[in-house]
Amino acid sequence: MKTEIPTSSTGHLDRFNLARAVQMLGPFLVLAFVIGFFAVIMPSEISQTFFSAYNFKLILTQTVIVAIGSLGMTMIIVSGGIDLSVGSVVALTSVLGAVLIKAGVSMGAMIVAVLATGGMIGLINGTIISLFRMTPFIVTLGMLGIARGLAKKLADNQTVNLPDIALPSVGMFMADPAPNGYYVAPGIAIAIDLAIIMALVLNRSVFGRYIFAIGSNEATARLCGVRTRLVKLSVYMLSGVFFGLAGLMQFSRLRQGDPSTAVGIELDMIAAVVIGGASLNGGTGSIMGSMIGALTMAVLRSGSTQIDWPNYVQEIIIGVVIILAVGLDKWRQSRSQS
Amino acid sequence: MKPFFLRLVVILGCLICTVPATGAGKNLTIAVIPKGTSHEFWKSIHAGAVKAKRELEDQGYKINLIWKGPIREDDRDQQIAVVENFIARRVDGIVLAPLDSSALVAPVETALSVNIPVVIVDSGLKSDRYSSYIATDNYHGGELGAEHLAKIINGIGKIILVRYQVGSASTEEREAGFMNTMTNKYPRIKILSQNQYAGPTRDSAYKAAQDLLNRYGKDVNGIFAPCEPVTIGVMLALRDMGKAGGIVKLVGFDAGTQSVDGLSKGDVQGLVVQNPMKMGYLGVKAIVDVAQKKKVVKKVDTGVHVITKENMDQMENRELLHPPLDQYLK
Repeated sequence: MKTEIPTSSTGHLDRFNLARAVQMLGPFLVLAFVIGFFAVIMPSEISQTFFSAYNFKLILTQTVIVAIGSLGMTMIIVSGGIDLSVGSVVALTSVLGAVLIKAGVSMGAMIVAVLATGGMIGLINGTIISLFRMTPFIVTLGMLGIARGLAKKLADNQTVNLPDIALPSVGMFMADPAPNGYYVAPGIAIAIDLAIIMALVLNRSVFGRYIFAIGSNEATARLCGVRTRLVKLSVYMLSGVFFGLAGLMQFSRLRQGDPSTAVGIELDMIAAVVIGGASLNGGTGSIMGSMIGALTMAVLRSGSTQIDWPNYVQEIIIGVVIILAVGLDKWRQSRSQS
Repeated sequence: MKPFFLRLVVILGCLICTVPATGAGKNLTIAVIPKGTSHEFWKSIHAGAVKAKRELEDQGYKINLIWKGPIREDDRDQQIAVVENFIARRVDGIVLAPLDSSALVAPVETALSVNIPVVIVDSGLKSDRYSSYIATDNYHGGELGAEHLAKIINGIGKIILVRYQVGSASTEEREAGFMNTMTNKYPRIKILSQNQYAGPTRDSAYKAAQDLLNRYGKDVNGIFAPCEPVTIGVMLALRDMGKAGGIVKLVGFDAGTQSVDGLSKGDVQGLVVQNPMKMGYLGVKAIVDVAQKKKVVKKVDTGVHVITKENMDQMENRELLHPPLDQYLK
């Protein structure tokens, strides 16, 4: 009788690992499906340029802002929260960057200020959510309006344009350094490095495991001695820094401060995180999945533009893919449980 | 399944090689990128582009015309992405109505650096490296609007300027032309409000106009709207308040189905009308000229006119008010 216990427990472990492996692979399957789909339906003269190194770099560049934001959004969603204010924070921080550069502040100081502002807004969100026990949906919905309004105020209700001399250094993060070579824009490298770091933080660090614990069951986590309020506050603040960084990338891409930019970009990030296998109920999700999710949407957008579909087709298809990706995930989960 | 996998392998192989730009003389792929796709103004540009395509095809060219606006209208980042995608696709030319005079400079210069000619239509770009700029003299359009509004309120009274949107170069020039003419030439006309922005859609313009009229409705004699959605928003708000039909004079900009209908019903007292079809038409022609290494004119003015209820049935005005969209877009 005693020998049965280890076999059954290893069996359980194996199944657990299998389920986890499938969950990890899911987003890749969706991405592979999208790429394969375009490969089959594209006429050869379009697929020649679509499947080129240049376009590959381009798609990565177009993913950077959503990808960096998704790093923060993954943490927040895993912890069982949501942040609807990201688009406004991106606009506010990008306008702040432009205003500072215009006022003659150095690039380094501007970057610090932009990241700090993002972190500060996250801190405010996190404080209200954790101390006053208000739902993240409502708090960040309020912040969506506040940050957007502040962005417009700061920009004096117009776009903040820079002197020509400042443009190359501002645009550096998102500019392709060599259109015909293999070097990529610094923004892409930053996003990939941060994704690796955040994947380690979420999976290997105590802080990361606490986030999963809170997302799975906040009451249990608290009873187990996790300082849930502090962890949640840190999650929103750290995410805010990422949203500030996304704002910096937006500023670098537009090379101007635009208070009306990035409306609804948080929805792209939420979609990326969810395609990546997270549940809006919290407790599941992975950085790798979210990155692939963000990439999937960029590939879809780029492919539908280059294949010359009307915009409405593109919008419908992206919607369908989001629902299919999540449906597929649910289906896999229910199968691995039964 | 087998051919599918073969094809996938071949295509993945292509990932490694960058494909050089192609430029076969008479076989051209031209991308036309408007600011948005849902306003009739852009449809007229599209119709003009199709008209050019048909004429060129009669001359033996083969034109693949791609019409593509940004997914989120009025979103600069999305329009940059569209331009970039067509650079990646190595089209033979891009006709672009830039959403922003600064933000679109970088992608346009990237296109030019890989020898894709770019023709700018409708709104200006802060660069001089594009092949040609084909647009309305918007400042003059604003002047004409001010002259007409001043004339129909007999040079005396109170007016409102409802601005369109922050950072839109074409409408800002119209607003500047309007404001300068009003303040310099008509001292007896008082401007009640000139700092409210209507926002990008008819609905946002409708709301802004309702708010303004709620405050100034009793005093105002005339309103100027610098583009189509604002004209319609103001017209709807005037109708709600029972001030339409000439009680408050409305001078708008651009011809759309609703604004032209308003003109014929007497709710709009004048429309400053541009010629968007000509922009699309000349834009595509200019790309072909550049591809043929012909010289193109750097700046082309496509003209503006004031159309009123009285002269709207004249032959040339009728074509401006009712561009033959069905003939080209169906």
